[in-house]
Amino acid sequence: MATESVQPIRSAKYVRPQQEWKEIIAVYLYLAGMGAGSFIIGILIHWTRIELNPLSIPFIELFGVRLDLAKFPILWGPIMVSIGAPFLILDLGIKWRFMYACLNPRTSWVARGFIILSIFIVFGLLILAKSFLPFKWLHPESGLWLIPEVIAFVFALGTALYTGILLKATKSVPLWNTHLLPLLFLASALSTGSMSIILSTLGTGLLSYNSEGMKVLMAGEQICVVIEGIVLYLFLSRRYRASEQGKESVRLLITGKLRYVFWQGIILLGFIFPVVLEWISKYYQNSALLFIAGLSLLTGGFFLRLGVLHAGIKDQIPMQRLMEIQYDMKRVH
Amino acid sequence: MDQKVLVVDQQKCTGCRQCELVCSVYHTGASNPSRSRVRVVKWEQAGIYLPMTCNHCEKAFCVEVCPTKACHREPEKENRVVIDRNLCIGCRTCIIACPFGQPFFDAQERVTVKCDYCDGDPQCVAFCNVKAISFVDADRAQMAKKKEAANKLADLLKQARG
Ligand code: SF4
Ligand code: SF4
Repeated sequence: MATESVQPIRSAKYVRPQQEWKEIIAVYLYLAGMGAGSFIIGILIHWTRIELNPLSIPFIELFGVRLDLAKFPILWGPIMVSIGAPFLILDLGIKWRFMYACLNPRTSWVARGFIILSIFIVFGLLILAKSFLPFKWLHPESGLWLIPEVIAFVFALGTALYTGILLKATKSVPLWNTHLLPLLFLASALSTGSMSIILSTLGTGLLSYNSEGMKVLMAGEQICVVIEGIVLYLFLSRRYRASEQGKESVRLLITGKLRYVFWQGIILLGFIFPVVLEWISKYYQNSALLFIAGLSLLTGGFFLRLGVLHAGIKDQIPMQRLMEIQYDMKRVH
Repeated sequence: MDQKVLVVDQQKCTGCRQCELVCSVYHTGASNPSRSRVRVVKWEQAGIYLPMTCNHCEKAFCVEVCPTKACHREPEKENRVVIDRNLCIGCRTCIIACPFGQPFFDAQERVTVKCDYCDGDPQCVAFCNVKAISFVDADRAQMAKKKEAANKLADLLKQARG
């Protein structure tokens, strides 16, 4: 019989945030959200047929095939999601068994997520491939392409919302158990997504700095950031009032251990920096500043996921609550 | 088979953690409390120890969130909730979902494990010196008692809030 180090006794006095899902899941949520968000914005640009400047993007020749990269900077979202998806698998105890989850889509949100992401990745990559492959038999101008485009669009929305639903579905963490969480992650997906498209088109001149398209995109991005800010405020204030543990979670974020993640990561990098820098860069027409603003906003998006994950404190065990009350009653009498 | 449940009397528990030891030995062959399915929690404020076991809940959150049905109910065996270690992918969603601090991730087996009533003969019950844990029929009387307790809890909560 092997003897191993003895685990110290657990004390019920301290509320502990959940320890199960950490950075890896945050990366997964972030990449899935950002990729889906950028695809949503990209396909909207594609549908509105905003004049792109194809000459500014060089085509490349690969194995004698001429690849037209004009649409690449707005449709690369699915690649991000396909990079993000393996992070969920990486977090599993036994990684190859992720197949089991794919085979049982009706069981739970973790399993449904696998399916939603897979469908988005397949259709998204299809649209991306069609945008640069020159083959005539693909009939790139055919109206039928609208069908896979709409499917990819819907599942991109699904992916962005799903990142919040996954957390909400666990139910016993009051901070996550709200409709505002999927909404918050969707807003963040759209703001980081549109910013990443601004960044990827910036150097290419695809949507040149002064063009109408870029102005619309930047206005849209700023609206997304404002909406995200409002939803974040509502989310935190509602959760603060939701229950004792919800309050504890919000406290942990704002004044507790996670205050650096919150104030510097989420608020400063995710909101204040980008808004101020974007404003200045618009004034001076300075792309470098816009670039920094973009990177800062993208980092802020990651910290948002990280903060929300780390602040998840479970509902108090009902039995403990009963005892606490019994104890209080005894003291009173 | 009739449903049976583990009942804990926190007034009796001395916090000796014998149950943790025998549980880990029975399930893993190692005497390592960190791999036990029952955990003694210290409730300092009230000055008591509380062995926390799985309640095999009627409406089990852990079953609801499991993506592979590894975590499932076995009505034929005391209506227990168990995790099939051959199906579990180790996603730990059930750990986050359970309100009672149950399932535990076993770092050595790389899957999540939980109380399975030791196939009908719970070792924690057999070895607890002060009989703080017992394994009893969840018959009508028990259910009535539980309901009464639940009502009381609701009343107390109201009073406490009011
Ligand atoms: S693991 Fe938790 S949720 Fe599942 S049956 Fe046991 S106590 Fe209930
Ligand atoms: S850790 Fe295992 S038992 Fe728990 S939800 Fe995941 S697959 Fe199911």
